[in-house]
Amino acid sequence: MLTTLFLGMELRSPVIVASGPASHDVNQISLAERHGAGAVVLKTACSDKYQHMRFWPRPRYKLLDWDKQIAGRSKQFSLYSYEQGYSGSLEDYWEFIRVCKRHAGIPIVGSIFADEAGDWAAMAAEVEMAGADAIELDISSPHRPGSLEFDTTSVAAMRAVVGRVHIPVLAKLAPGTNVLKQAEAAEQAGAHAVTLCNRLQGIDVDIESQRPILHGYYAGIGGPWAKYYTMRHIAEAYRTVHIPISGTGGAITGEDVVKYILVGASTVQVLSAILINGWETIARMNEEITGYMQRKGVDRLESIRGQAVASMTPPDNIVRWSGEPLDGTRNIWKEPGP
Amino acid sequence: MSGTQKYPGLPLLPPPFAAQQPPLAKVVEEKCIACDRCLPVCFFDALRIEERPGHALGRSAVVTAAHCTGCGLCFETCPVDAFVWVPDMSSSPSRPGTRI
Repeated sequence: MLTTLFLGMELRSPVIVASGPASHDVNQISLAERHGAGAVVLKTACSDKYQHMRFWPRPRYKLLDWDKQIAGRSKQFSLYSYEQGYSGSLEDYWEFIRVCKRHAGIPIVGSIFADEAGDWAAMAAEVEMAGADAIELDISSPHRPGSLEFDTTSVAAMRAVVGRVHIPVLAKLAPGTNVLKQAEAAEQAGAHAVTLCNRLQGIDVDIESQRPILHGYYAGIGGPWAKYYTMRHIAEAYRTVHIPISGTGGAITGEDVVKYILVGASTVQVLSAILINGWETIARMNEEITGYMQRKGVDRLESIRGQAVASMTPPDNIVRWSGEPLDGTRNIWKEPGP
Repeated sequence: MSGTQKYPGLPLLPPPFAAQQPPLAKVVEEKCIACDRCLPVCFFDALRIEERPGHALGRSAVVTAAHCTGCGLCFETCPVDAFVWVPDMSSSPSRPGTRI
């Protein structure tokens, strides 16, 4: 019932484990599979030039605004983190993919980060050779060096990778005002799908020491609140680009996944929810999506994809009524009483 | 602020020794109430519950130092502030978390 065709892969669920700390070792792949994930995007491997990003600050996580609910019940939190890349060498990473592929019954998506187009392409070729079913280009990590420009570096990277490998290529984009333009650029560069969106960059401050918290620099910040702008970005891209969208950022329930599909996503990547609410989150999401489908008489999720976008009201057609009349009682000035 | 008092959580800043030695999580077993809240959040299999005959509750959470990457999430889940940072004396440049 939840079977989803995505980039030629038949996924048993639209719920995918996003690249990150829940996909950095082999044992997590079987956990993801056991709990019903459709696929796993592995932790991002960085090129040798960025090998300092294979080392992580300690500590690197802080839960802000957490509702403190445990046993999978948390609904509100902000995950503030300085997440870095896959901690092994590139050779370790290719072996990681090979082992995952040997043991996993679900598709494995490699994830890479580099700067020069040649490095992107060479790494992508290794990911393909190692047996990955697809590759995601992490061109938008909140922790990447700030000097890399999308219009030059990222577009060149996408072109180079698409020209080099035969497996599907996903471009993971950052949220913000440029995301639609970037999604169009990704499509033009030949990407087979876009992943919308990476996390935002933020900062929190300890007012006692008057210093930024944790590692002392900007952090990646995400949480359930991110779903609203994520859905907006998905909806915009769905109207404009013609390649599939993998939505990510903020989904913590099956209802969220349904919403992402209704605004145009084909699959939904989940990470923070697994981290905070456990691996059971995936099974719970699948149950909730199935329950929704049964209640609404939906056979396949493809039949509802983008439904909410199709019924969006253009601004010019929004029904508007008069506001407070200028001569209404609230607009007649009265001197404040004693 | 009752939530904050109930869950003290991770200190906002790394411990002072973090510039010299990578910090590692450790359980203060006398404080631990073996509530199991920390176990599910550890993505590195670095937490386990062990029998402790001398402990008031007979059991306590324990950190497997070799697995701990010092990420800090377990601190967040502890309702009794039983986690502390200790220097990771075993780290080497090939190990994640080490300064290079």
